[in-house]
Amino acid sequence: MKSFKPILTEHIHQKDCHTLSFYKSVGGYSALEKVLKMNPENVIQEVKESNLRGRGGAGFSTGVKWGFIPKDSPKPTYLINNADESEPGTFKDRLLMNKAPHQMLEGMIISAYAIGCHKSFIYIRGEFYKEYKMLETAIAEAVGNNILGKNILGSNYDLDVVIHRGAGAYICGEETGLIESLEGKRGWPRTKPPFPAIEGYLQCPTIVNNVETLSCIPHIMNYGADWFKSIGPEKGPGPRLFCISGCVNNPGVYEEPMGVSLKELIFERAGGIRNGKQLKAVFPGGSSSAILTADEALDVKMDFEDLVAKKSMLGSAGVIVMDETVDMVQACLNIARFYAHESCGQCTPCREGTAWLEKMLTRLVNGGGKPQDIDMLFEITDNIGGLIDFSKGSFGKTICPFGEAVAWPVRSFVEKFKDEFLKYLPQETVVA
Amino acid sequence: MPLLKIDGREIEVTRGTSVLQAALANDIEIPYYCYHPALEVVGSCRMCLVEVEGMPKLQVSCNTFVGDLPAERKVDSKYDMVVNTQNDLVIQERKNMLEFLLLNHPLDCSVCDQAGECYLQDYSFKYGNAHSRFEEEKRVRPNEYLGSQIVINHNRCILCSRCVRFTQEISGTSELYVEARGYDSKIAALEDRPLDNLLAGNVADICPVGALLSTDYIHKSRIWNLKKQPSICQDCSVGCNIDVFSQRDRVFRLTPRENQDVNGYFMCDVGRYGFHRFEEIERLTQPMVQKGETWEAIEWEEAIQKAADLMEKSNGKTAGVTSPYHTNETNFLLGQIFKDVWGSMPQILDEEITFPSGFRISADRSPNRKGMNDICEIIELDLDSEISSKAINGLYILDDGVDRELDDTWKKILEKMDFVIVQSYAMTDLTKLAHIVLPGLAPLEREGTMTNDRGRIQWLRPSLPVTGESKPDWKILSWIRKAMNKDEQDFTEINEVMKEMGEVFPAYKGLSFFRIGPHGLSLNGKASG
Repeated sequence: MKSFKPILTEHIHQKDCHTLSFYKSVGGYSALEKVLKMNPENVIQEVKESNLRGRGGAGFSTGVKWGFIPKDSPKPTYLINNADESEPGTFKDRLLMNKAPHQMLEGMIISAYAIGCHKSFIYIRGEFYKEYKMLETAIAEAVGNNILGKNILGSNYDLDVVIHRGAGAYICGEETGLIESLEGKRGWPRTKPPFPAIEGYLQCPTIVNNVETLSCIPHIMNYGADWFKSIGPEKGPGPRLFCISGCVNNPGVYEEPMGVSLKELIFERAGGIRNGKQLKAVFPGGSSSAILTADEALDVKMDFEDLVAKKSMLGSAGVIVMDETVDMVQACLNIARFYAHESCGQCTPCREGTAWLEKMLTRLVNGGGKPQDIDMLFEITDNIGGLIDFSKGSFGKTICPFGEAVAWPVRSFVEKFKDEFLKYLPQETVVA
Repeated sequence: MPLLKIDGREIEVTRGTSVLQAALANDIEIPYYCYHPALEVVGSCRMCLVEVEGMPKLQVSCNTFVGDLPAERKVDSKYDMVVNTQNDLVIQERKNMLEFLLLNHPLDCSVCDQAGECYLQDYSFKYGNAHSRFEEEKRVRPNEYLGSQIVINHNRCILCSRCVRFTQEISGTSELYVEARGYDSKIAALEDRPLDNLLAGNVADICPVGALLSTDYIHKSRIWNLKKQPSICQDCSVGCNIDVFSQRDRVFRLTPRENQDVNGYFMCDVGRYGFHRFEEIERLTQPMVQKGETWEAIEWEEAIQKAADLMEKSNGKTAGVTSPYHTNETNFLLGQIFKDVWGSMPQILDEEITFPSGFRISADRSPNRKGMNDICEIIELDLDSEISSKAINGLYILDDGVDRELDDTWKKILEKMDFVIVQSYAMTDLTKLAHIVLPGLAPLEREGTMTNDRGRIQWLRPSLPVTGESKPDWKILSWIRKAMNKDEQDFTEINEVMKEMGEVFPAYKGLSFFRIGPHGLSLNGKASG
């Protein structure tokens, strides 16, 4: 196996890697200098050609998204850096902000320049207090060195970056929920259309990109779209930060090319299953992705296509590993409880359905289950998140994808570990 | 114009029309809760999901807009959108949505005021399941007051957020918000700002279920026992269109009736609860003459004759007093009798209130000053000085009713008169000083036309039966006119009065209730004043 030289996390083990002087010493902000001499159109084109896809979860093409910004709008354009990392099992953006804040800032400035934005926001998860302070310092450093502010590096281009701290809601990581929250409103996702690129923050064209996505931008601009495409599968290339947690010996963030095998991630990078136990199931992309059984997990490549073929998704690349000791019904209840707690409550199926799932699973775990509950779990999840037909996309029923985010994992638990659910039924109710 | 095909029907729509709007305008029913034509679209109840051909999932029809497609992308080379509202997928989805909405609902229709006009009830019957599969414990919460006259039953609330958007967008007062999150979400009023704005009552009307209730109507009646009569609010000169809900001689509630040229979908609480002031009055039901300290009831014929005799004897020194609280027809007849000397009591102005949505409450709380001024050519007559300069010794007054308190100046004027004849429905400050009282109709019993302050003539329809021996005010004046001049016609129908009014005042020519219709008619500034 060829070892991969990290790109985004190359320097994170070095002393003072978060400082501007360190970042500059390893060639930082050279991409920015180059970009500021380019036509913004060409920057968008380069990113489009790189096939960079969003690292937040949905995996939408970054360059295509930028291209949706209207060319003739008299309104200002905004770039929002989505640092509200709140998907369970995901902790990569935190690392990037901690160890490579200038890499992210450089990506932001380049992106802002490309879409004609002069005021950009970092919407950071409220709990990330340390990272918030570090970003403040990094921004101050950048401003002090004419990397942010007026007339950046003598280019006549101006950009201010404002940090906004979230107040602890999962749904504010959804881009329109985030925008509402940033506007000072309740974090209720908006109905689309219009999409944020047309009417986002303050009804102005807005692009929301993830921390990791933005961190890729300087490298694309430095080494070119073709280089980027050569890393991993061409349709969804690039380096990817995999967050491995759960029942493994060495949990952590591992940078690998897209398309790395999940087996390699778990057994080589993360040191295999702890205490010599057997692998049972894996969330490949955060708790919103459908779980994979051990057999499926050992046979999957971590890229957009292969996971969709396995009826799951790459999501935020938060790999949660469960071993044979994990009670799948309890785990399923845990997931259901999380989503019932985090549903914003706007759409009927999600508000009512998530709580129904939680109540029903609680009853099941407490020994009050009935045989029909198992089929009901399928029906409720279908009614919240829609029937899953990957060939046609998802049949979602709610304003934002939260409905699917609860339906997919819960359904996958019941589908793949039905026998464990049946064991929870009181014995007299089980018909042999 | 874009061509929409919906359930096989071809409908031409204006660009940007939503599928829901197009369907509703064409009598195709799509159930919905959170959508309201006056409010911002949020698309959150998910009830109006329909199938749009070519889209991977069902779409909320309230937020799906029909636009022009380029020729090569048109469906079947002619349609800009093809929508199905009746296929299996959509029907199943409605069932699912209603199941979710009813999970925690107490199913207490038998004691719910909304029953009979409840969209949750109606849609459940039409589209829902007969049984609930929910075996868990329901979410139960106590009722709460959101304001002094609005109470919320949280258990029935479906969180459509219409009420919240109403306070943000229509009243602009923002008292309401959604508290907590997800399953714990509930409608709440800000701690230091209860829902007490002058449009608050509307939230009970726009609530599609029995969650928001007006304390004024709660547990008073069942809606199917009430008679619903379209009418006009008489509590300011805007003239909001309303429905009056009554049973026999009692009004139970007023609700706004849509009229985009006047009040949109709403009415204010001044008008909404105003009818209560007619409940405690001392209603006059019999013509009376004052005998010292007491009143003596007399027959109509005698009363009319007595009044006519008094005026004849005064030899042109009787003045008529018009009233902006009365209909155009009544004021018109008064004007015909007192051609030379007449006017109205001094105007009382309140505060003019305009809400951010444009909804307004006029400073002039009388309903028909514009009409009165149109019909009575002398507008700004200073009646007090007129009375002294012309040595007026008798007055024939159309009473402003319970809305008028008499000041000392006017008390003195009245005491100086040889005789005062008052046409009124109640014993007021003014009637107490009368020599002859002719009982007219109370505001909600009246029929006729009124002209609002923007020059729109509207049809005031009677909502309550006539009380006792009282008579329509125009009829009383018709009798008086006949008694004073045998050649005059005695009108038997109000239409005849309208016809004659139109002949004298061209702006009001050719009017009929039929022409005015339920939404009124703009006089296009033809009238004077």
